[in-house]
Amino acid sequence: MLVSTIRHFKAVNYHARILRTFSSQIKGQSSRSDTSKSLSELRNVYVEFLPDPTVEFRNPIREKLERLDMLARRGQIDIPEFYVGSILAVTASDPHSLGKTNRFVGICIKREGCGLRAKFILRNVIDHQGVEVLYEMYDPALQKVEVLRLEKRLDDKLLYLRDALPEYSTFDPDMEIEVLPEGSRVPVNPLKVILKPKPWLERWERQNLRGVQEFEISERDKRRADKVATPWLKYDLMKNYMNTIPEEEQNEIFSEIHEQLQQLELTRKKLKRKRSFVKPFKLG
Amino acid sequence: MLYISRPFTSIITYLNRNIHTSKIQCEIQKQTRLRVVDNSEIGKRAMAEGRPPKCIHVYNKTGVGRLGDKVLVAIKGEKKKGVLVGLKQNQKVKVPKFDSNNLVLIDDNGTPLGTRIHVPIPTVLRTILKEKTIAKGTDYTKLLGIASKFV
Amino acid sequence: MNQADISHLVSRLKIQVNPRLRKFRNPEGPLGRLKKLRKTVTALFKHERIELNYPRAEEARMYAERLISDAIRYGDCHKTTMETADFWIEEKQLIHKLFKVLVPRYEHSQTSYTRMYRAPRPYPGPMHKKAVLELRGNPYPPLLPDFVSNRNLIHNVLLDEAKKEYRSQKYAEIAAKIESAEKGALQIENTASEKSSIEQNASVSEQKP
Repeated sequence: MLVSTIRHFKAVNYHARILRTFSSQIKGQSSRSDTSKSLSELRNVYVEFLPDPTVEFRNPIREKLERLDMLARRGQIDIPEFYVGSILAVTASDPHSLGKTNRFVGICIKREGCGLRAKFILRNVIDHQGVEVLYEMYDPALQKVEVLRLEKRLDDKLLYLRDALPEYSTFDPDMEIEVLPEGSRVPVNPLKVILKPKPWLERWERQNLRGVQEFEISERDKRRADKVATPWLKYDLMKNYMNTIPEEEQNEIFSEIHEQLQQLELTRKKLKRKRSFVKPFKLG
Repeated sequence: MLYISRPFTSIITYLNRNIHTSKIQCEIQKQTRLRVVDNSEIGKRAMAEGRPPKCIHVYNKTGVGRLGDKVLVAIKGEKKKGVLVGLKQNQKVKVPKFDSNNLVLIDDNGTPLGTRIHVPIPTVLRTILKEKTIAKGTDYTKLLGIASKFV
Repeated sequence: MNQADISHLVSRLKIQVNPRLRKFRNPEGPLGRLKKLRKTVTALFKHERIELNYPRAEEARMYAERLISDAIRYGDCHKTTMETADFWIEEKQLIHKLFKVLVPRYEHSQTSYTRMYRAPRPYPGPMHKKAVLELRGNPYPPLLPDFVSNRNLIHNVLLDEAKKEYRSQKYAEIAAKIESAEKGALQIENTASEKSSIEQNASVSEQKP
């Protein structure tokens, strides 16, 4: 209920903006500010197009070639917009059973890597057994990637779901696609999960998690957490600078590819419209 | 891990490093507790009593159990063989990783002791177990027949 | 391979960035390093030109540039920027200077906001490299010798001579012009006075009837 209200309230979404830009370009009135705005928005959706900021790994030619390859792959398969916390269904060909495919539904708990090495982890609980699968986004074995529920969570990584009660990572594999109303922003699910008691896989008390309900920790753990806390890290301006790509560079990258991305977006819209047409059937 | 049999110098280096990688990587080796996921009588009782089987040998060259490896376990005072059908360890792309280390008990011929596996098992096992099965040897692929679900 | 962090946007720095940050090892750890550097950054904002050891200057320069570029980008109403400025500037009145003096100064700057020079090291003395770090557009006289306006350099001497010659030529021309103009003016005056007397006579004769 809350989620739906949030969905309704938050207007102006990114698709609409992209469409608007595109239509204005068709009319020949492309306004520069609008394009730059959509460029800066693109980074949220297509994070993996940005290179790894680590200096040792930078190689402009390789990055460019990778981007071309990624666009080529996106022309073959529709990789929709999704975030950590979205529920996805991935259909991949299964080399272990001839001619069959494998469909896995789960919540995306982590996104990592950039370029062709972009990966994401899906998690689900099947028959009371937690299962996680790591997929590569540009894996040629993937046949279909569907977003069943598009939403964000409060944290960037949901690895704590491994230590949370199983109901928080249980999703019906036959789930229907939940369609967001046109022109709404991606909703943020303010769900706070309850963790199982210790022992945990990681020291969650040290990670400043927002999507976890208050839990009790011992005085000793608290002291240790305080000891290793690094609250000054946000003030280390150069470290932050080196973890990110400056806006000018981002704009250079996205201005190169944003036309192709828009084209892909439009074809997807068309396909969606086709798919959403339901044949009328007789009642009674 | 600290082994008493190791030379003293290496113990010192281990103490200095003060890190234990096996536990973090969730490796299956001797003394690791496993979870029986079939409905064999002995396995069910062991799990219900809260005394899960303990790995006492891994039948491969490395001594670390991977997906589809045969292990010897101590379960309810008996020695039984089993196949690992799901690991906690990080797996390769498209290979599922489970929240527990799952084991299916088999006898010497490779016939499972139970009649049903009540958790999903990875499809990679089809290939792995087929490769491990030798003609006229142990037939591991019987295990695939009692699986309820593949991921 | 990691993903770029996109939670915050930054502007590209206009200086060469040293990808490996110096540790400045000290008992307080990384926080101690930042505390050391913020003293330098505060001093730079206060005095606009400081002389110090080279490594510290290079490191502090990057932080000062980042601070100014963030201040220009987000302004003083942005909470995170204000907190960062509050951390980096120890003398709080300088926060006002950052947002009210330095931001307008560098808003449309195409180059870096600071300059760094290698400074001579004292001899005899420690072998540390020295540097001078300054904000651009500071009120002090420039550090580098001003070769353009040094009058004793040969090209400046020649230029000066050429200027002199040109000027004297021009003066001569102007004088000649003025002379000729004066002559012409005298003649015109004579003719004009004659004309006016005739006109006056005419007007008188008109009034008479």
